[in-house]
Amino acid sequence: MIHPLLEPGWMQAILPELILSVGGILLCLVAAFAPRAKEVLAPLALIIFIATAWAENLFVRAGDYFGGTYEVSAITLVFDLTFLLAGMLVTLFGRDYLERENIEGGEFYALLMWGTVGMMMMAKGLDLLIVILGLEILSICIFVLCGYHRRIAVSNESSLKYFLMGAFATGFILYGTALFYGATGSTNIGIMAWQFGRMQVVTPLTTIAFVLLMAGFGFKLALAPFHAWAPDVYQGAPTPVAGWLSVAPKAATLIALIRIFHAMAPLLGEGKDTAAKVPWMNMVAVLSMLSMIVGNAVAIVQRDLKRMLAYSGIAHVGYMMIAMLTVRDESVAAIAVYTIVYALMNIGAFGVVSLLVKNENDPHTLDDIAGLGFRRPFYGLALAVCMFSLSGLPPTAGFISKFYIFKTAIESGHTTVALVGILASIISVYYYLRVVYYLYMKEAPEAYAVEPAGGVFATGALMIAMVGIMAIGIYPTPLFQAAGEAARRLLEQ
Amino acid sequence: MPILSTILWLPMAAAILLLVFPRSAVNAIKGLALIASIVTFFFSLLLLRGWDDAQAGFQFAERIPWIPQWGISYSLGVDGISLWLVLLTTLLTPLIFLSQWDAVKKHPKEYFISFLVMETAMIGAFIANDLILFYVFFELMLLPMYLVIGVWGGANRIYAAIKFFLFTITGSLLMLLAILYLAFQHSHLGGTVTFDILELYGTQLTPAAAVAMFFAFSLAFAIKVPLFPLHTWLPDAHVEAPTGGSIILAGVMLKMGTYGFLRFVLPFFPDTSRAYAPLLITLSVIGIIYGALVAWVQPDMKKLVAYSSVSHLGFCVLGIFAMNETAITGSILQMVNHGLSTGALFLLVGVIYERRHTRLLADYGGLGRTMPLFATLFVIAVLSSVGLPGLNGFIGEFLILAGSFQASPVAATLAATGVILAAIYLLWLVQKVFFGPITNDANRKVREIAWNEVAALVPIVVLMVWIGVHPNTFLKKMEPSVKKLMTDIGGQRGGDVQVASSTQPAVSR
Repeated sequence: MIHPLLEPGWMQAILPELILSVGGILLCLVAAFAPRAKEVLAPLALIIFIATAWAENLFVRAGDYFGGTYEVSAITLVFDLTFLLAGMLVTLFGRDYLERENIEGGEFYALLMWGTVGMMMMAKGLDLLIVILGLEILSICIFVLCGYHRRIAVSNESSLKYFLMGAFATGFILYGTALFYGATGSTNIGIMAWQFGRMQVVTPLTTIAFVLLMAGFGFKLALAPFHAWAPDVYQGAPTPVAGWLSVAPKAATLIALIRIFHAMAPLLGEGKDTAAKVPWMNMVAVLSMLSMIVGNAVAIVQRDLKRMLAYSGIAHVGYMMIAMLTVRDESVAAIAVYTIVYALMNIGAFGVVSLLVKNENDPHTLDDIAGLGFRRPFYGLALAVCMFSLSGLPPTAGFISKFYIFKTAIESGHTTVALVGILASIISVYYYLRVVYYLYMKEAPEAYAVEPAGGVFATGALMIAMVGIMAIGIYPTPLFQAAGEAARRLLEQ
Repeated sequence: MPILSTILWLPMAAAILLLVFPRSAVNAIKGLALIASIVTFFFSLLLLRGWDDAQAGFQFAERIPWIPQWGISYSLGVDGISLWLVLLTTLLTPLIFLSQWDAVKKHPKEYFISFLVMETAMIGAFIANDLILFYVFFELMLLPMYLVIGVWGGANRIYAAIKFFLFTITGSLLMLLAILYLAFQHSHLGGTVTFDILELYGTQLTPAAAVAMFFAFSLAFAIKVPLFPLHTWLPDAHVEAPTGGSIILAGVMLKMGTYGFLRFVLPFFPDTSRAYAPLLITLSVIGIIYGALVAWVQPDMKKLVAYSSVSHLGFCVLGIFAMNETAITGSILQMVNHGLSTGALFLLVGVIYERRHTRLLADYGGLGRTMPLFATLFVIAVLSSVGLPGLNGFIGEFLILAGSFQASPVAATLAATGVILAAIYLLWLVQKVFFGPITNDANRKVREIAWNEVAALVPIVVLMVWIGVHPNTFLKKMEPSVKKLMTDIGGQRGGDVQVASSTQPAVSR
């Protein structure tokens, strides 16, 4: 043994992170030393992602590592695979997008990989500092990726906005963590949980800490009222990046929040309804309802597809937060399922938008997809399937995952929030259907037809998204089993 | 062979097969769709051959676990309530394909795919024995209908399509919440986690929860029926929809609402249904009279038929909430009748619209001389809809009125005026279009109804006469299931007296 904090097998435990980190460096080197071999970059990136998923399934053993600060378990496996899926889909869409815009380089894929490493750390960290470290690694990759289209003004603007707002958010999270450290004497989530169990009373200090933490994480989740950055950043960022940004960081933040909420369970009045303990969760419930209402209501007036998807993303985080109101194995499983499904349908939707050829400084409006369903049936069908899934209509995966969320809400007694969620989804049907209306029922103005252009990579990604959405929608049992099992193990500790 | 699964998935399989057909192979696409729907119909006839008249429960049952963690299963079965509705669906779809063979010029491939998907969804909703499975099919039928109205509809089609979708989804999403709550209550009170309809029958609920859920379910189905005052989407949808869409909408899709009342609302919440029956009876009577009066003043033929649907489906809901065997039997039969007669009327209106591109009554007159065969078929359909003895409409309306008279004489009396009004506005329609002098020169040489349209109408006319002359063929198969429903909801006598006393003090039996 080299060091007391390095348990045997630590190398295997972080094998996925190692492969991705080294793979990213490799891609940068290939791009630097073989500038002509651009076409190998994306396939190489895909191989690295797939190799990571394979290594994760085969070699990684469950357990706590690095002195109990790094947890590897079934639930982290589920979330890691979600991140890898998102990374792969974005690589596929990104390849065609970057080639068309003539900005392809190894850094793009490398940043995606390093960002994925950051998310994996957030998902596995048992210490708030590890979570924050992962969050920062992720955020730096996002800053660069948002500004990746560097000759385009909106892309730079997007990057700067995310940087400024993100710096604030990280500040809030750090400050909240510092206050929790003051209250409990540790940043380790396990020790914090034990201390919370001893306290049994909510002090003003911990309430302030919780509020700060929720504000910071709420920003990363684009949860209303901390959502204002999302539409601007998504609109300016390269479209595949926007798709990635709308899914993967949210999933990572949610799993980190699940751990924190689980640790706080003694203070949240799980099982006992002491009046003094309820307000924290009421706060989360208000954030959730606000997100659903604001996201869906504002999305109605958006003509820009990326902005519309940004607001719809705000609403979807609201749905996911419903399940967070009571941390049980069912609700954790519901969130795990929702993030996977959300990755497929949202990245798929952004992917179709990324194929629309036009000046990237201009907004991608609804008019750009007018008549697409009959002009380019495959892209039209893919976007329509994603929209139906986002609006939660059976037999798509969107229905199953939303159903799961509402089911857990009813079972844990949050009927009011579930009712608000249902009413909000009725609103959402309107604007998702409007996309279908433009796809199939509107003729494109002759002079102003934006043609989508995509190669085999984008087609492959859309096939993965569509098949995934339909398969999960029609036969979700294996996914439920895996997620449910993983969630049970997480909460047993 | 699992016969219900075959009927259910055959149209869907054909739709998936059609996806890979080249767009230009129009005749092959139409041919495959027609053959698939006819084969489906013949398979559904096998249901009659293997039918056990004595059995009240679900027959041809199939059951495979689907999402076992939540107690959701792929569970199918038909009983006397759903049997004829399934057959109506499988009959109307090939007739639509046949009659619309030449009518669809724009994107025929997508049109036929939409209808095949819709057929699967509608059959599925009628035969699903699991609430979630039912919900999936109930929603699935919205998507193709939305496309059918929105892509192939008239000038104002977008507004109509979105209105149709939003109305329906509002009801069904609230119903989804109620479904979840019902299943949760069932498992909470010691039962297993299940969405199986039969197991959920008789779940004990607190009165407040029962009322809330009764209204959530009723709202979904009342929108679908549509019951006054939730009917406003219907005229828009019907007027804008293409002929095939109108036929399937009036013929089958509206019956989802009345079927839902029978299958879910009455057995899940029998006491609440009894308590609120006066409300629903009142609304349906208002719907009957209001629909008839509005139909009377319509200058547009299709709108007239659409409002007549509001009126006629009011009878079905009236029969259901009279909550006795006679009325409910009549109600089920009337669903089939309405599907036949209104389906035929929409088809015929489509025929004339395609030739003259107007639906205004004022543009017609004296068509009886130029299109005698068309006029004959039209008059038969109208008489069936009016309820002429000897045709199907009479039997259904008679049973409903006879049954609901026992429950509420005032409601039955008022509803009976709807029959008279129906005669007025429908015969008025016939007179304006077919009789009198030819005032408009365009009507002098109109192409007579084509062979494929006649071929589509012949089976409907045969069935109209068959039901009218020998309704027992049909009633016999419903009877055990309706009897069972009556015992499930706590006996017809009790129900009758209570309804009568709450609406109307007079008349004891």
